[in-house]
Amino acid sequence: MTADTSTPFFQPEDRIPLPPKDAEVLTTCCDYCVMACGYKVYRWPASSPDGGPRKDQNAIGRNYPLRPLQGGWVGPNQFTQATYRGRLYNIVVIPDPDTKVVNPGGGHSIRGGCIAQKVYNPRKPTQDRLKYPMVRINDTLMPVTWDFALDIVAEVSKHVIRHHGEHSWAMKYFSYQYFENTYALTKLALKSINTPAIAHHDHPSFVNSVPGWVDIGYDIFGASHEDFALADCLVISGTDPFETKTALWNHWILKGIHGNKTKVIMINPRRTAGIAYAEKHGGLHLDVDPGSDTVVHMALQRIILENGWEDTAFIEKWVNNFWETDSGFGQGTRNTPWQWRTTWGMFQVKGFEDWKAWVLAQEESKPEVAAGIAGIDVAKLYTAAEMMAKPKADGSRVKTTICIEKGNYWSNNYLNTASIGTLGVILGCGGKPGQVMTRLGGHQRGGVSGGPYPGIKSPYKFPGRRRHRLDLDRWLEAGHVRFAYVIGTTWIQAMAGSTALDETFNRLVKLNPNQVRSFDKQTIIDTLKKRVDSGGTMVVNQEIYLRNPIGSKYADIVLPAATWGEEDFTRANSERRVRLYSKFYDPPGDAKPDWQIVAMLAKKMGFEGYDWKDSNDVFEESCRFSRGSRKDYNAIRIMARRKGMRAHDFLRQYGTTGLQAPLLLDGDRIIETKRLHDYNRTDLPDTGPEKATIFNSRLVAFKTHTGKLNLVKSPWNIWSDFYDFMKPRDGEVWIMTGRINEIWESGFDDYERRPYTQQRWPMNFVEIHPDDARPKGIESGDLVAIESHRVPVQTGHNLGVKSDDMWFSGLMKRGHIEISSGQFSAVAIVTPAVKRGTIFTDFLKLDSPANSITPRVPDPISMNYRFKVASGTITRVGESPFKHKFSQMTFKRRDIV
Amino acid sequence: MKRHDVTAGPASSGPASGGIEHTCVSRRSFLKGGSVAGGAIMLSGVPGMEGKVLAAQVVRYPRMFIAKLSALTTDQPLKFKYPDDGRNSGSLLVKLGERAGGGLGPDRDVVAFNALCTHQGGPMGGTYKPEHKILGPCPFHQSTFDLTRHGMIVSGHATESLPQVLLELEGDDIYAVGMIGLIYGRHDNLKG
Repeated sequence: MTADTSTPFFQPEDRIPLPPKDAEVLTTCCDYCVMACGYKVYRWPASSPDGGPRKDQNAIGRNYPLRPLQGGWVGPNQFTQATYRGRLYNIVVIPDPDTKVVNPGGGHSIRGGCIAQKVYNPRKPTQDRLKYPMVRINDTLMPVTWDFALDIVAEVSKHVIRHHGEHSWAMKYFSYQYFENTYALTKLALKSINTPAIAHHDHPSFVNSVPGWVDIGYDIFGASHEDFALADCLVISGTDPFETKTALWNHWILKGIHGNKTKVIMINPRRTAGIAYAEKHGGLHLDVDPGSDTVVHMALQRIILENGWEDTAFIEKWVNNFWETDSGFGQGTRNTPWQWRTTWGMFQVKGFEDWKAWVLAQEESKPEVAAGIAGIDVAKLYTAAEMMAKPKADGSRVKTTICIEKGNYWSNNYLNTASIGTLGVILGCGGKPGQVMTRLGGHQRGGVSGGPYPGIKSPYKFPGRRRHRLDLDRWLEAGHVRFAYVIGTTWIQAMAGSTALDETFNRLVKLNPNQVRSFDKQTIIDTLKKRVDSGGTMVVNQEIYLRNPIGSKYADIVLPAATWGEEDFTRANSERRVRLYSKFYDPPGDAKPDWQIVAMLAKKMGFEGYDWKDSNDVFEESCRFSRGSRKDYNAIRIMARRKGMRAHDFLRQYGTTGLQAPLLLDGDRIIETKRLHDYNRTDLPDTGPEKATIFNSRLVAFKTHTGKLNLVKSPWNIWSDFYDFMKPRDGEVWIMTGRINEIWESGFDDYERRPYTQQRWPMNFVEIHPDDARPKGIESGDLVAIESHRVPVQTGHNLGVKSDDMWFSGLMKRGHIEISSGQFSAVAIVTPAVKRGTIFTDFLKLDSPANSITPRVPDPISMNYRFKVASGTITRVGESPFKHKFSQMTFKRRDIV
Repeated sequence: MKRHDVTAGPASSGPASGGIEHTCVSRRSFLKGGSVAGGAIMLSGVPGMEGKVLAAQVVRYPRMFIAKLSALTTDQPLKFKYPDDGRNSGSLLVKLGERAGGGLGPDRDVVAFNALCTHQGGPMGGTYKPEHKILGPCPFHQSTFDLTRHGMIVSGHATESLPQVLLELEGDDIYAVGMIGLIYGRHDNLKG
């Protein structure tokens, strides 16, 4: 690929064209992280004059030069050119300087701030966008027409479904890339085909990321950004919003720290810039070892309970008692998720007192024991408990908000989320200004389901009554996937134990003797049918760039997708704000939006209900399937109809502000929702909810059968056998993966195609403590190899019968764990910011995949991978090219405040 | 060789490492089409278009006396305005005490940058950290910039490196002769 082989360089401009007064202005949002800052696009013909520096000479309406924080500056990375309806235009994309929400005044991240460089431009590093459908013939991807490619996909798909069953037709796709696309994709997979072999980009199964909160009754995105500025104490677990939620940090958390004296407690093995800043302003860093969070939460619970600092009034009113938990309200807990997970009473309690007695009886909840397991100073636990729970001098409660992200839920998934959830319950978190529970979020919230998941078809079962959802990685490895439709994910490097997954693809695709060696369509179809009938797999990859290896090596057919800016799309953000993302230029070549590709394919397969004319048609159809969800946006369609408008155009009127869901209707008035679980809310319409919009309990209560919260247990012994196996031994260190500010939910653009980012991060990196580096002779700028030869990989179809069958030791005993190896290289950054005995590296660099060493043993309760708990060795290879040069990469520490 | 000493990094890197070393070249040397003095990089060594862009950036700018090299003390930044006295032109000249990209003088350690954060214009003139050789954190949102590496972002939100002021040494006199990068808040460095 051009971008891989050419020399990346960053040569900034020292002047930039301003949009003229008559430039067209469109609104959109950033494509990357879940904040979704509001942006404006200015478009004017390249052949017409640019604007001038006076506010009456430019479309931004500001006099240049600008003052600090004024908003509206156009930096060199915010200008590009693109074609629209075949004509060349100048394009400026800047954060909306006039917005009042999300990123007030035009704040931005380094990622969104450079998003103009995402736009396809044949003279820039985006030149290698996929432009035409391609079929692999004699191992070369060759351009074909849409009909040619999709006829093959449709014929082989039909064959697979008919002869091998719908289980054999698999979809691996992004969960987030716009309502229109996720609706169309899931309509095909779940409604039309009804396959259980479907998984999102970040899980092996179609599952929830925060199962503990599901059982307790907390929605995972119930907060408003404003809550972060209103809290007295913020507990942030497994992330640093300075690095990965820029606008939240810059506009809301800093506002709290400076205006409200918010104390920030961060739970993270690594000292980041945000943590350093929090500490400087009265906060606290709990520098836990990877995977130890649960005992820290339990120790905090114990300290709070022993001091009587729990929120008794809240608990009495909003926590289920024994009757409510066990037998009340119709079916009681028989149909609640925890009973789906297990019937052995492992998590369930009989109300608050029972739960309290359980916590106090646990050895791991003793602060000294917990501190020992977590590798932290025990005094910090007492300080943290005081900060989040000790009543103020006047007796009033501290308003504590708890927020988590992947460092928390991608390690000990069920127990971490359950135990931090119950910590929230006793602190009275949920539904009040500044006192909420929420995920901070990753990608934006662009998922809406076009059909129900056929749980009954999954062959996997946990001891107890209910079925697990299908583990697609294991299903593939077992040879059951004959057709794999991969949309917008690398699949392999994004999943744990990626070496084993890569070997599986190689075996099923490349080593199968039935390879395409003809340009005759029927011969191609026949060859691929022979492949799938002989136990092999056909792979289709729908993407914006050719990815290695899923596209470049394994895909039999590559389909070019149109993306952000190339189609009108809609999506929600972390405070459930729904906005329109305007199309402002033409997709490259013959690329088409995902929904349209799905529609063409579905029709060729003979399915009905895909006669959409444009993305607005898909959006309008999806509206009613959003009803009752946290991002219920059905009111948009209803109001648009009443006004004789298209739903997209109705939403477009709200610009970068959008509408905050769930949306309710009161006559012709749309009522937005600032936060969920808002039991003090008084603005619910008298007559509306039952009709146009669905009233659901999480609007004014919690998400359980009673509307009250459940307390659940978090027994350490269902994790400890796996944890003991994963702990570093024989010269190993903990290997922690994560994200950094410059590349966060934007790796699909940044890493390879943005010179500004490439100069900063030309290669993968690893942070290592000086005490760990010195004995190995590692200095900043050295190239190092990270390796593990004991990566556990769960295999086979293992039916859980007895209670301990599915725990790690049970799987080992029954032969379901194979040991694989993994390795990757990186440039060392020696810094005391990372904890001694732990190294930190980027989560997903395609050519240096850290997931090759992460364990492919999902949490048996919830089927989430434990990406953050890995160990291995690190050795010096030599000097990197960047050690003594000045133009790329810097080795300065990132936690200077 | 007569004194038109010029700042320079090591020779431009090849495809393996990627990236160009921004070199501070003598405007007049370049205009004469000759090589650059002091054993520094030849413009012909810069791949692709960069040399021309660099030349254009130098050619447009005023040549302005900043300070005497002998008067500089390591880690004590000197404030100056460039390329004019207008808004946002506040800059820092600093002798880092260690070799830096675009560094001037016998130790290649004298560099100069515009001192406004390229994120949202935060004033960073007083934020130099001698122990790290960085500018920042920005008082607004904590961005930091590596002065040894052409003002590259270390951590934070800015969409551009800090604009680097190109320097030229004539005898003991340091002159500002151009800039790499756009000053925050301007649409053209020379239209302040």
